[in-house]
Amino acid sequence: MADRLDNLRRFRSDVEQCMKCGFCGYFCPIYREEREEKGLARGKDQLIRFALEGEQELSKGFYEAIDNCLLCKTCVQYCPAKTRIDHAVTAARADYAAEKGLPASKSLVFRYLLPNRRLFGAALRLASWLQFVLPRGEGGFRHLPQFLSALGAGRAIPEIAPRFLRKTLPERNPAPGEPKCRVGFFSGCATEYVFPDVGHRMVDVLRALDCEVVFDRRQGCCGAPVYFSGDFRTGRKLARRNVEAFEGCDYVVTGCATCGSALRDYPTYLAETPGEKQRFEQFAAKVRDFNEFVIDVAAADLGRLRLKPRFQGKKVTWHDPCHLARHQGVSAQPRAILKSLDGLEFVEMPEADRCCGLGGSFSITHYDVSKKIADHKVDAVAASGADAVVTACPGCMIQLRDALSRHGKAVAVLHVGELFEVGREPSRGSPDA
Amino acid sequence: MAREPIVHHLAAIVGRENVLASEEDRRAYSYDGTSTWRHLPDAVVFPTCTEHVEAVLKLANEQEIPVTPRGGGTNVSGGSVPIRGGIVLAMTRMNQILSIDAANLSARVQAGVVLMDLQTALAARKLFFPPDPQSFLGATLGGIIAENAGGPVCLKYGVTKQYVLGLKAVLPTGRTVDLGGSTVKNVVGYDLVSLITGSEGTLAVVTEAVLRLIPLPPARKTIVALFDDLPTSGATVGKILDAGTVPAKIELLDNWVIKSINRITGMGLPDDAAAMLMFECDGTHDVVEHDSRTVLDVCRRAGAQVIVAEDPQQALNYWKARSAGFAAVFGAAPTVLAEDVTVPRTRMAEFIGRVVDLCAKADLQVTVIGHAGDGNLHPSVMTDANDPAHFARAQRAVDAIIEAAVEFGGVLSGEHGIGLEKQKFMRRTQDPIFLDLMRRIKEVFDPKGILNPGKIWEDGRG
Repeated sequence: MADRLDNLRRFRSDVEQCMKCGFCGYFCPIYREEREEKGLARGKDQLIRFALEGEQELSKGFYEAIDNCLLCKTCVQYCPAKTRIDHAVTAARADYAAEKGLPASKSLVFRYLLPNRRLFGAALRLASWLQFVLPRGEGGFRHLPQFLSALGAGRAIPEIAPRFLRKTLPERNPAPGEPKCRVGFFSGCATEYVFPDVGHRMVDVLRALDCEVVFDRRQGCCGAPVYFSGDFRTGRKLARRNVEAFEGCDYVVTGCATCGSALRDYPTYLAETPGEKQRFEQFAAKVRDFNEFVIDVAAADLGRLRLKPRFQGKKVTWHDPCHLARHQGVSAQPRAILKSLDGLEFVEMPEADRCCGLGGSFSITHYDVSKKIADHKVDAVAASGADAVVTACPGCMIQLRDALSRHGKAVAVLHVGELFEVGREPSRGSPDA
Repeated sequence: MAREPIVHHLAAIVGRENVLASEEDRRAYSYDGTSTWRHLPDAVVFPTCTEHVEAVLKLANEQEIPVTPRGGGTNVSGGSVPIRGGIVLAMTRMNQILSIDAANLSARVQAGVVLMDLQTALAARKLFFPPDPQSFLGATLGGIIAENAGGPVCLKYGVTKQYVLGLKAVLPTGRTVDLGGSTVKNVVGYDLVSLITGSEGTLAVVTEAVLRLIPLPPARKTIVALFDDLPTSGATVGKILDAGTVPAKIELLDNWVIKSINRITGMGLPDDAAAMLMFECDGTHDVVEHDSRTVLDVCRRAGAQVIVAEDPQQALNYWKARSAGFAAVFGAAPTVLAEDVTVPRTRMAEFIGRVVDLCAKADLQVTVIGHAGDGNLHPSVMTDANDPAHFARAQRAVDAIIEAAVEFGGVLSGEHGIGLEKQKFMRRTQDPIFLDLMRRIKEVFDPKGILNPGKIWEDGRG
């Protein structure tokens, strides 16, 4: 029986753009390590095209090819034919998942997790929170264990926060004076469970910029690890819930690059009807990355933000998360922030927008390549001479910390939100990291 | 020989991690940059040293297994398609720049080094390797040498064969030979370096090359000239050269491409211009000033509207726009038949006129783009391989374009090579004695005919 390929057919014109020039090889972080045709966008595009033509089955080898992609979009940025291989790969994963179910490698995490007492304990502690992450009964805790095992496969593991964000951050956070707008804060799982303090800092900044900040408890996982892996069905449920949770807000602000891009991509991948597409589009239009919001929406009040004293005189560099610079086109704003903070010295590192190699679950299933890609980042950070590398993606932060510590580099990894002094004691239950 | 034992033997040579044989991997090595040529190999091997290549070829020669060398797979001739199956020898993991010798203006590289990576390393030393095939982001030096590749700056600097001083190459029998050396002057015996260069991987597998470099020109300037009709732009090229100036690049874009550029980049070029020439003058500051003045004068006298790029960024934007415009050609129709004919510069205007004419008569959309400075044009006929009647008409037009090029004293391929794509024209247009000489040279190098069989003079369709 021929495979149905409903999702790929929807993105067929993206697949057919490729003219096989092979330029993608120069930009693909994976190809630059492996030098194999299947690793570069052209190879994936051809296999997908053969699948659409009925020559290539949705085999294990096919899955390996489409799974071996960071969705970093570097090739897309430079593709002369404007091939959207990110669309094609995501759709191919969805068709594969629909036909064959998600592959064993996605549940392999349990095999990593269960024998490891420390991680298992953390996972157990987290299990009680997983109704928050995924809709009840929908595949249980699929996503967070993935995330945890990414930390576990030989990595330097950040501590799971003693108290999660929703335990310490109120649902309503009024502006100090008359609110200029109503911002829905989308925390994302990593900020919720691993970096709650970063979440507090961002909310403090948003309030200092005269925003009323709502942290609606109905929000859950953005869906990235689920639907970027091809599970559109679960992704859709998550999307619907998140869209509902932020209905009354003027903006949806997140400090997680991956979450931001996943929220903005709901209409591209997950809408089932034209009406839903429109609803997702309206939601996506409200989404702002934290940097983007601070500079583009609240710029006038920027003078109110000061550098935290402990960063005085420090030299920092910026790492562009793929999901921020390429997926959301946000790269000038964070630099504007870093340059505006008195007492902070900003230097560019070489190839600041080069992928760090995490790629979500990619780093679990392809840890060796992931590490090699991260090594280039370590070299770049070292070349900049910075005391700290600043970014706006908890995933990148985990990867950068792991890579820098593997190489014994004493360079701090910070979220941009951590830099600010907002003239108030930190919120309760969130010790300064 | 059955596939399993081949894989086993190959793994014993290069290690399991350097052999691929799954369905999907074989499919991923079944094509190159052309739109239609495909054939599955039985296995893909990644040598990481010359000794690996020796051992693989020895095995293949003993067992008479076809071997097709492949670099970045960016070629547009069908040359790296394993048309007889067998082994694809993927050179991409031999990608070390072994040395850069600024005092001798040379570099030693492994065959799998990507051109852009080499240029980046050279630029840091204020050096460059002139041949600039537009596949530079994916093409490897081994492939560039095998195809004797050209590109825009070849107008001033010449093609790849002028920049290869020496080669380490493995013969199809598995014996390694060092050819040439590292000096520019070298007349010791037959020039086998030049024979291997441009042999499209049919005579030997290049594993290392010593390349001739030149100092990076300190200044450059980009000039754009817009013309009311296409043949006049072609004629202007000859006039500029006649005035004693050789720009590094003279690129030709027709109205279709100009409009595409406007659509893609919003650059706002005049939509009604019939043709655009893009020049890059390079050299010392004085030379660049002198050359660009000549270009401006000649273009203005020919009635062109001229624009000089104000700064490097604007210049870069024009060249990026050109790339985008060229790329748009390939996405403009389901199938694009892009030719690579080269005619003497003095006949270019006449030739372009003929192409436009015969395509109009056949009711076919054609764009004429190319490296006008050296008469190397890529007339591209838009068609659809799934529409048999239209496709047949387009193929007849391409036949006529190639015949016209030959009639005007040109050649059927300037820089892409023959591979599989141009074989039928090869036999039709070349002296049988030339074809026979090639066959006999091949026999000397490759008695069992295992290396890249079915290419150039040998029928690949059988």
